[in-house]
Amino acid sequence: MPRLIFLALTLWLLAPVAVQAQTLQDILQTHQDEVLKPGRRSVGVVLDDLVASGLPQTVPFLEAWRDREIVQRDSDGLFFRATEDGDAITLNDLDTGENVGTADDADLTDSRPNGGVRRAIGDALVQFQLSDPNILKRRSAVNAIARSMEASQLGPLEASIEGEIDPTLRATKQRLAGMLGARFADTQDKRIEAIEALSGDLSVDVRAVLNTILTTKTGVAPEPPADKNIAQILTVGTDLTAEDAYARLVAADLAPPLISKAAIRNALVANLDGDTVGGVPVATLNTDAARATAYDALAADGLLPQRVSEAEQAAAIEAHSFYLAYTEPDTAITDAARAALRSIETNVALSQAADLGLDALSLASIYFLAAIGLAITFGVMGVINMAHGEFIMMGAYTGFVVQQFVPDYTLSIIIALPLAFAVTFGAGVTMERLVIRHLYHRPLETLLATFGISIALQQLAKNIFGTQARPLTSPEWLDGALVFNDVIAISYIRIAIFVLALLFLALILFVLKRTRLGLEVRAVTQNPGMAASMGINPDRINMLTFGLGSGIAGIAGVAIGLYAKVTSEMGADYIVQSFMTVVVGGVGNVWGTLAGASLIGFLQKGIEWLNPSNTLAAQTYMILFIILFIQFRPKGIVALKGRAAAD
Amino acid sequence: MHRSFFLQNPSILWFLTILAGFTVGVTLVSEVTGVGLISTSFVKTLGKTLCLCLVAIAMDVVWGYCGILSLGHFAFFGIGGYAIGMWLMYARTEGIVLGSLAGQPIPPTPAEISDAIGNQIFGVVGSSEFPMIWAFADNLFLQLLMVVLVPGLLALVFGWLAFRSRVTGVYLSILTQAMTLALALYLFQNDSGLRGNNGLSGLQNIPGYEDFSQATISIVFFITSAIALAAGYVFFAWIVSGKMGSVIKGIRDNEARVRFLGYHVEGYKLFVFTTTAIIAGIAGALYYPQAGIINPGEIAPIASIYLAVWVAIGGRGRLYGAVIGAAFVSLVSSWFTGGGAPNINLGFYVIQWTDWWLVLLGFSFVAVTLFFPKGIGGLFDLLVRKQP
Repeated sequence: MPRLIFLALTLWLLAPVAVQAQTLQDILQTHQDEVLKPGRRSVGVVLDDLVASGLPQTVPFLEAWRDREIVQRDSDGLFFRATEDGDAITLNDLDTGENVGTADDADLTDSRPNGGVRRAIGDALVQFQLSDPNILKRRSAVNAIARSMEASQLGPLEASIEGEIDPTLRATKQRLAGMLGARFADTQDKRIEAIEALSGDLSVDVRAVLNTILTTKTGVAPEPPADKNIAQILTVGTDLTAEDAYARLVAADLAPPLISKAAIRNALVANLDGDTVGGVPVATLNTDAARATAYDALAADGLLPQRVSEAEQAAAIEAHSFYLAYTEPDTAITDAARAALRSIETNVALSQAADLGLDALSLASIYFLAAIGLAITFGVMGVINMAHGEFIMMGAYTGFVVQQFVPDYTLSIIIALPLAFAVTFGAGVTMERLVIRHLYHRPLETLLATFGISIALQQLAKNIFGTQARPLTSPEWLDGALVFNDVIAISYIRIAIFVLALLFLALILFVLKRTRLGLEVRAVTQNPGMAASMGINPDRINMLTFGLGSGIAGIAGVAIGLYAKVTSEMGADYIVQSFMTVVVGGVGNVWGTLAGASLIGFLQKGIEWLNPSNTLAAQTYMILFIILFIQFRPKGIVALKGRAAAD
Repeated sequence: MHRSFFLQNPSILWFLTILAGFTVGVTLVSEVTGVGLISTSFVKTLGKTLCLCLVAIAMDVVWGYCGILSLGHFAFFGIGGYAIGMWLMYARTEGIVLGSLAGQPIPPTPAEISDAIGNQIFGVVGSSEFPMIWAFADNLFLQLLMVVLVPGLLALVFGWLAFRSRVTGVYLSILTQAMTLALALYLFQNDSGLRGNNGLSGLQNIPGYEDFSQATISIVFFITSAIALAAGYVFFAWIVSGKMGSVIKGIRDNEARVRFLGYHVEGYKLFVFTTTAIIAGIAGALYYPQAGIINPGEIAPIASIYLAVWVAIGGRGRLYGAVIGAAFVSLVSSWFTGGGAPNINLGFYVIQWTDWWLVLLGFSFVAVTLFFPKGIGGLFDLLVRKQP
């Protein structure tokens, strides 16, 4: 009920003259002709009176009118809403909505509003919808305005703001009113005020509004016209090419059109005269110069229009000035809009840089996760494991299989992480025992043997899980994104991967630097013989270290699978980058891997930003950069010094 | 000099004799002579295999003799294929375009011809302009020069950069793999000027020889490939024998010691790397007209690793080993993946070799590396040793 009061109040505010209570039928009877044969102009009177009446039955009537359901009964001239039911037509009273009986088609006259009238009715309806008690209707009305902004919507929208009780919708309405005001407010001051108010908003639609105000049209004239709001005078040669300039002259009927090469050719074909055209033998017409000669000969005979010489073109271009003019005639408004747009664009650029930084950070953490296992097996132990990527894949498929049995996504991820570690730890230990152990002194052969395992594992996965990508669904609380403003946003999954990468960095550093196992690993890496004589079992340590590195690859697989699809080839996508991450960072140092991942992540995002359409090119340039980088720092960013660096 | 060279290396004569016998034999029973025991498509497969053998011995020299595990030699192979493919495609399209323009009332201008060819070739990537790199595509001689120059220069620059900063061992492998990946990714782009992932196609039609049947053309390429393989074999055998061969093998066994003896190790490595890259390019230029199509997928890093696999299975450090490995693995591979091998029914599961061949290859490769580091070629040692 309070909403109805609001509605009535709003309508009353809108009404220039308060109209006393009356029925809808009364109003329609006073405008019988306009209702029956509405024209674009005449309909305004009816709509004004209807709006002014503030009757709640106005909205259904307008909807019915728009939908061409209003009829007049010839016998008494009353209007009804007609619904067709087979042959019979049922009439409904407009004020009460009650069924008042049926009528024959012959006794009724239809009101047939045309397209323009229906649009006018629609506009009037918007005013009612904006104050409708149902929030869904209000919201859809606001959305409809946002989609197609028109001057006529500004008034109703502003009027409806005061009565709006939903705070979110109220804010949306105010924002929309601001944008409409920037474009359509009736005085210069109001528009400039509205434009300046927009300058703090980074959203795309605000930029679109400002750009619409700043729409330009190209023009050409002997002198730049004083009556136009000139945005820019174009210089031929820098702002536009001579061909473009001449084409614009032709389009503006200020110069004769050029005869294109194709046109010359067609004209010559049309004027073939035996073996010659214009006195030139056909066989020699295989150059543009010969064709031009033949054409000129024909033109001299008056058969064809003259060609425009280059000097004439240049003179025509010289004699005119080319400019861009705003469609908005008011200089003050375009100045304000330009200033607002500039300040928005500065903010957008800053935000984009921040967003790019976040993206790069997230990419770096993905590379770090993929490479951290390698940092142990390759970096610390010096074993080239080409099957590392397949361990990542195994981890991801473990996650997929767990999700087949555990439907709760949160629980399944909690189970999948340690399980993936266990599976790939086992696979790593098995591989170390069976293959790598025998090849410690032949690193190149380790590369090839592990490559053999890699293609076998890849094909096995393909045979078991098929070739199509399998989804690994993230829990609901990881859906969505952390939004800072309209430009800066980062999805929660990427934040989770970042946190996971940090956790692993801490874990690895802790294991290597603070535990007995880490001590023994470092001892075996530096000098296996000496370590063995101190009572360390190098075989056992190598096995455990390799298992640890592989296990971490498995966990990385679950994390990567959450944001990318799980396929049998996903490991191969990361293997080269992972090796480069370790090599660039510096072998034998976890901090180096971190530095390498950051460098590669930021570099790739940076190159993508310079060349946004082409990620393939970005990757190409990044690899080239890395190849060059290794020339100058062959040992990586964080190079080991002293004895540890010896090969 | 040559007399003694061949006498010192009897395996070369053996190899040349077997290759010549094989070539003559295949030619006699092919469709050209009317016997038709071997189909044209199989002659093409054999010719392609010979080219793979050629790139495999190049790989063997750079890896088995010099110790550089290059994962980029198949990229050089592909570059050679692209270089010859550009001419083949240009010349053939030019022939078609000229034929269709001949009926016009007015002879076409050079610009019109060029536009029409460009439209035909680059229509698939939404362009009709000739990129810079096609500047020589209309000239067979210059494009043949490109087959040699482009891989050679790329290898020279890359090798110079890498060897100069003493990148060795697995680091060099990873670096060459990165180079291969970069090249493949570059070629995958539509604006690379080489038709993106469509690659170059229709290369089996040799411009100017449209009247000859594919049977004849395939035999000509088969014999040419055999001659190239023989020449490459003798050339590499000559390089790896004698004093220079000793230095190269010394670098493989202990680079530092060779350097301390006063040899310019980087120079030798660069020479071997560049020469083998050029031979790889030539092999590619012979391979792709027989294959008919080349696309960036052929250059992907995995192809170069397979090359190393062939050499390892055949036996490193012996040229005939590389030939055996390449021929054996690639022929067996096409037998398995082509559905030639019978499926094995285990009762509860049917092993289809099209699915399981890569698993078998992967694991047998591990087994070869672990248990037969000398590869198939090592079997010959047993034979030789048994004889008194």
